[in-house]
Amino acid sequence: MTLSIGTRVRFAVNGIPVGAEGPGSRRLLDVLRDDLGLTGTKEGCGEGECGACSVLLDGRVVNSCLVPIDQVEGCDVRTVEALSEDARLGLLRDAFLRSGAVQCGFCTPGMLASAAAFLGSGRKPSDENVREAIAGNICRCTGYTKIVEAIRVAAEDGEALDVSVAAAPAPDVAGSRAVVQAMPGLAPQRAPIPPAVDPARPNVVRPRTLDEALEALARDAHRPLAGGTDLMVALEAGVADSSVPLLDLWSLDELRGIAVVAAEDASGTPYLEIGALTTYADLRSSPIVQEHLPAFGAMAATVGAAQIQNRGTIGGNVVNASPAGDTLPLLLATDAVIVAASVRGTRPIRASGFWTGYRRTALAKDELVTRIRVPLPAGRPTRYRKVGTRRAQSIAKASVALSWRAGEDGAWRDVRVALGAVAERVIRAPRTEGLLEGARPSATLAGEAARLVVTEITPIDDVRSTAEYRRHVVGRVLRRMILDEIAGGPPAGEGLRR
Amino acid sequence: MSPRAAVERPAEASLRTVQAPDEPRSPLAGAIVGRSVPRRDALAKLTGRARYVADLDLPGAWHGVIVRATEPHARLLGIDLDPAFDWSQVVVLTANDVPGDNVVQFAVDDQPVLAIDEIRHVGEPVALIAAPDLPTAEAARDRVRLRTEPLPPVLDPLASDVAFARYEIAKGDLEAGFAAADLVIEGTYTVGRQEQLYLETQGMLAVPREDGGVTVHGSLQCPYYVHAAMRRALALDDARLSVIQSETGGGFGGKEEFPSGLAIQAALLAIKSGHPVRMIFGRHEDLVATTKRHPAVLRHRWGVTRDGRLVAQDIDVVMDGGAYATLSGVVLSRGTIHAGGPYACPNVRIRTRAVMTHTPPSGAFRGFGAPQTEFAAEMQANRAAEALGLSPAELRRRWAYGIGDVTATGQVLRESVAARSVLERAVEASGFEEARAATAQARARRAADDRAVGDGGRADHPRGRDEAEREHPAHGIGVAMAWHGAGFTGSGEEHLASVVRVEVTADGRIVLATDSTEIGQGARTVLAQLVAEELGVGFELVEVAETDTSIVPNSGPTVASRTTMVVGGLLVTAARRLRAEVEERTERPFAASYAEDAHANGPTRIVERFAGYPGVEWDDATHLGDAYPAYGWAAAVAEVDVDLDTGEVAVRRIVSVDDVGRTVNPLLATGQIEGGTLQGVGYATIEEARVEGGRLLNDRLATYIVPTALDAPRIDAILVEEPFAGAPHRAKGLGEIPMDVPAAAVVAAIHDATGAWIHDLPASPERILGALQSKEHEVSERTAADPEATEEAVR
Ligand SMILES: Cc1cc2nc3c(=O)[nH]c(=O)nc-3n(C[C@H](O)[C@H](O)[C@H](O)COP(=O)(O)OP(=O)(O)OC[C@H]3O[C@@H](n4cnc5c(N)ncnc54)[C@H](O)[C@@H]3O)c2cc1C
Ligand code: FES
Ligand code: FES
Repeated sequence: MTLSIGTRVRFAVNGIPVGAEGPGSRRLLDVLRDDLGLTGTKEGCGEGECGACSVLLDGRVVNSCLVPIDQVEGCDVRTVEALSEDARLGLLRDAFLRSGAVQCGFCTPGMLASAAAFLGSGRKPSDENVREAIAGNICRCTGYTKIVEAIRVAAEDGEALDVSVAAAPAPDVAGSRAVVQAMPGLAPQRAPIPPAVDPARPNVVRPRTLDEALEALARDAHRPLAGGTDLMVALEAGVADSSVPLLDLWSLDELRGIAVVAAEDASGTPYLEIGALTTYADLRSSPIVQEHLPAFGAMAATVGAAQIQNRGTIGGNVVNASPAGDTLPLLLATDAVIVAASVRGTRPIRASGFWTGYRRTALAKDELVTRIRVPLPAGRPTRYRKVGTRRAQSIAKASVALSWRAGEDGAWRDVRVALGAVAERVIRAPRTEGLLEGARPSATLAGEAARLVVTEITPIDDVRSTAEYRRHVVGRVLRRMILDEIAGGPPAGEGLRR
Repeated sequence: MSPRAAVERPAEASLRTVQAPDEPRSPLAGAIVGRSVPRRDALAKLTGRARYVADLDLPGAWHGVIVRATEPHARLLGIDLDPAFDWSQVVVLTANDVPGDNVVQFAVDDQPVLAIDEIRHVGEPVALIAAPDLPTAEAARDRVRLRTEPLPPVLDPLASDVAFARYEIAKGDLEAGFAAADLVIEGTYTVGRQEQLYLETQGMLAVPREDGGVTVHGSLQCPYYVHAAMRRALALDDARLSVIQSETGGGFGGKEEFPSGLAIQAALLAIKSGHPVRMIFGRHEDLVATTKRHPAVLRHRWGVTRDGRLVAQDIDVVMDGGAYATLSGVVLSRGTIHAGGPYACPNVRIRTRAVMTHTPPSGAFRGFGAPQTEFAAEMQANRAAEALGLSPAELRRRWAYGIGDVTATGQVLRESVAARSVLERAVEASGFEEARAATAQARARRAADDRAVGDGGRADHPRGRDEAEREHPAHGIGVAMAWHGAGFTGSGEEHLASVVRVEVTADGRIVLATDSTEIGQGARTVLAQLVAEELGVGFELVEVAETDTSIVPNSGPTVASRTTMVVGGLLVTAARRLRAEVEERTERPFAASYAEDAHANGPTRIVERFAGYPGVEWDDATHLGDAYPAYGWAAAVAEVDVDLDTGEVAVRRIVSVDDVGRTVNPLLATGQIEGGTLQGVGYATIEEARVEGGRLLNDRLATYIVPTALDAPRIDAILVEEPFAGAPHRAKGLGEIPMDVPAAAVVAAIHDATGAWIHDLPASPERILGALQSKEHEVSERTAADPEATEEAVR
């Protein structure tokens, strides 16, 4: 039995239990602003780019324009209106005021959400860390200088005053553990307006188990929904068919988790198993990933910014199948296997056969991606370099993944070169791999590889870059990656990222 | 919910005066002016209580949408409504329904409220629809078909033969100047369209009134522009029209002229439907439909002598105004006057034109023509320094305007010239010369490396890890300067004849009233500071009247860096008069007696009207004379890292030194510098609204990108005060000049790092890598021919 959400979703906003009506794909932002009159949360773009709509969802910062209400059932949402009730945010407010961090104020509520999440994370308030924490919040007025300063001041004040900065536990709204005392003055400022029926917002079906999900898919056409960071944008832009109901996977915990699994086959090679719902934030913070596939953690740090990393999933990235998707070249370069499931059973699909064309995959209509398996052969480094449009909230203009196994003689074996955003889909460069295979890396070889790889790509001019740039940059980046290895490994830091 | 923290929140801390104990106080500071009092609007904005237009809740409000043209140029034959749709539930309006003149009033009456028979750009409004809810309005919009016959569009500004405005200003003898020159520095530069990207999109809420009139609430910079435009198009008298500014989420010029058309459109729908009508743009519509900074092509020929004198400037500028004139004439005028940069030159010719193309209209954006033309001038100055073998700072020391110099319009600079002092501060604060010496060494080392390799691939040889890290990415430093005339150009302020009011009300409150809008820059705070200082009362005692045209007088638009200087000056004079009048009656200090006086004698109200700055003369016909009562001066030093493999640029630090005459609020002033600087950095590196075939390509926030906090440099904002005697409070404008100066400094730094000059903005990785590729090619050819090739080959 699946639960169909056209009904009421129950959650807490600033500690007050609330319900929301309408299709499950309604945006949390609209419920906050239109139904609850909490207009402190702003809309600056509606597509996850500006962060003006940022709120805390169970203590994590998210873009409320990309969160379907179906996924906040039982959650704790906090908005700028809760500010005066929270000591930690009170410090932030004072610091913003004193540092001159507010100009037009339109970015301010979202900035505060990101800043609060950052303070809650316990990370060191270095200039770089603070900037990274607010990189998903565009401010056009301040140049960020005073905002960064304010957050650093608040962090220091918080420490001095010993204010608890631990992220708040999520209240169990649906269950018996009743919600928190109501806060005076935080009641909705205007009467709920019944939501207009918006044909652009499809209904959502929420299965309780993977089996229920697979059954629903087998029965009728559904579009799977994970973190929604691609799908909600597509719906907003009117490029996704809104008559197909969404199948919400978000609560299927069986699709989460990162683990090293012992070899099942004769090869004896263990693999890293990553649940499809694993977010970029999960990848970044996983010690297992850090130990076995640090390139994945580093890649995850370059995706969007905090809001996107908290919601976007590896499964969504893989199935979305954008040629610029950041996980794809890495999965190609590591010979990963994508595990697909349907009522008919489970099948492994090699990454090399998964992306079949522009935004097309080998997945059947009734299949879901459940896990991703990345083999972990001993002594196999993997590197990734993304050339993006800017240093956060940045889509790749071109990306290169490189993987190899170093033999005792210093020669490279099992070389993989995978490329993003330079063809209609992510590709490997077999001729370049052939050139490098069995050879000892040298500057001359790096130069040859750079020249050869260019012949294996078919880049285009688009709104982000030019075919010519992509051609040049792929060769130069590949050469640099090889030269860096000769010099003893990649330099610390991620290119020009601080 | 969060566990309550164990400590008391320092609630009152927020209201204390912000003045770090070690904050250097300017010698010009007073009790309130010169201090960083916290801004008036901050608390409401920090608690989510500030109401922007989309936050205004009016029961029963309808939603308005605009049917827009999809072709760059076409004859409009008809507007067809799909008969299958139920049109009874919506209101539809076309050009025929405009009761007054079908014109959005600016300098030139060319832009219709709704297109009537010719479509002149993609996104042009053609019809309006309102419905009780947004999905219905949008569904109706999808059922409207425009019947058109395509016409050939003019898309290349250089091929356009329609000019909205032309200027030619000349001084001295250009031919003689070039004859005396030893070197001629020539260059063609292009600058792209830039989007203001105020974070709050355009929005308007129109409320019909019982008297047949209408009140609009909106996100806007210039209430009386909107008011005048509505009066004309709606054929309504003043009594039946009010314009109220709601909290505004940024403007930067983007809400100078554009809201006038939107206000008319919302008002038309409100009057026709009888309901309040909300029109709130989504970001996509905002990007597609609103004005951008004028793109431009700039050609320069400068004559310099071997001993480093500037003797001739011949400058030719073409700006793309888009489909309608909007403010192109005034943007061009400011661009023209600033085109030579802040440099004294005896022989000058500047010829400019703003042309029509079938692209969305260009309009106001912070700097207003000056960032475009000053970018080219600074490029020339930096290239001249290179050609002469001089430090670019030294060259500027020699060339920069000083007291007594004469500008291209023939203005003698009599006072308040801070060109050299901002330069020296910037050079010193950034350690410019030392850093420049270090980058020159690094460049020489790389060049030597390249020669050692000899096969053209500079990185194509193994090196030690230390070396790889040291030289990758490449570091560079660059400098630029700017000047910016404060207030309207020429006779503009006299024509505006702004009015302000300061009063003590019958119940003893002090209220200042202007239509200057708070758009984030801090106007409400700064103006109240000026009045409080003059009256000798506490800052918190001065109220600022709501920005509603039925309450406040017309003090002119909130543009042109004029609010603090012009409107602030008027308020200071008004406050002075108010104080004198009250003190004369009470024979006691104003602060101690005004409340009593009000209760005894009733309200005192002072209205002050602008009457011209002393000694300022301007000739509209020849465009010659005193172009501005005073200029602000700025210098910036930029430091960048350039990834030589990818052409990616990280701007690491900008030192921006800006002269403001007198600082009213240091925290707000440095905030303006920091924000303007980052917009300049975006302009220099990543921002360009690309129009192809008349259509905007990057029409979403995912593709029109602006700097994030990680892209932003560390910004050191330094204020310099060179008082302006013509203003009663000595202050000049500041809003725009920080935007004029960074782009050229960043491009100079990129050159310093790579040896490549990028002539086009933005200096994107694509352009930088293109330049690096051709340089490498060149080097490999030269090294093949001459293994002893010097570093010059690389430059
Ligand atoms: C501001 C912003 C920045 C971004 N930056 C980056 C970036 O830097 N790099 C990058 O690669 N991407 C980026 N993205 C895109 C997006 O965040 C990623 O692709 C993300 O991984 C998508 O995951 P999701 O869970 O949100 O997918 P969703 O939007 O939920 O789904 C995406 C698609 O995959 C399908 N799907 C999802 N899960 C499954 C499953 N388990 N089985 C079958 N089908 C499934 C959905 O039906 C949908 O078609 C960005 C997006 C935004 C809005
Ligand atoms: S509104 Fe811009 S990210 Fe949500
Ligand atoms: S203060 Fe205006 S966008 Fe940040």
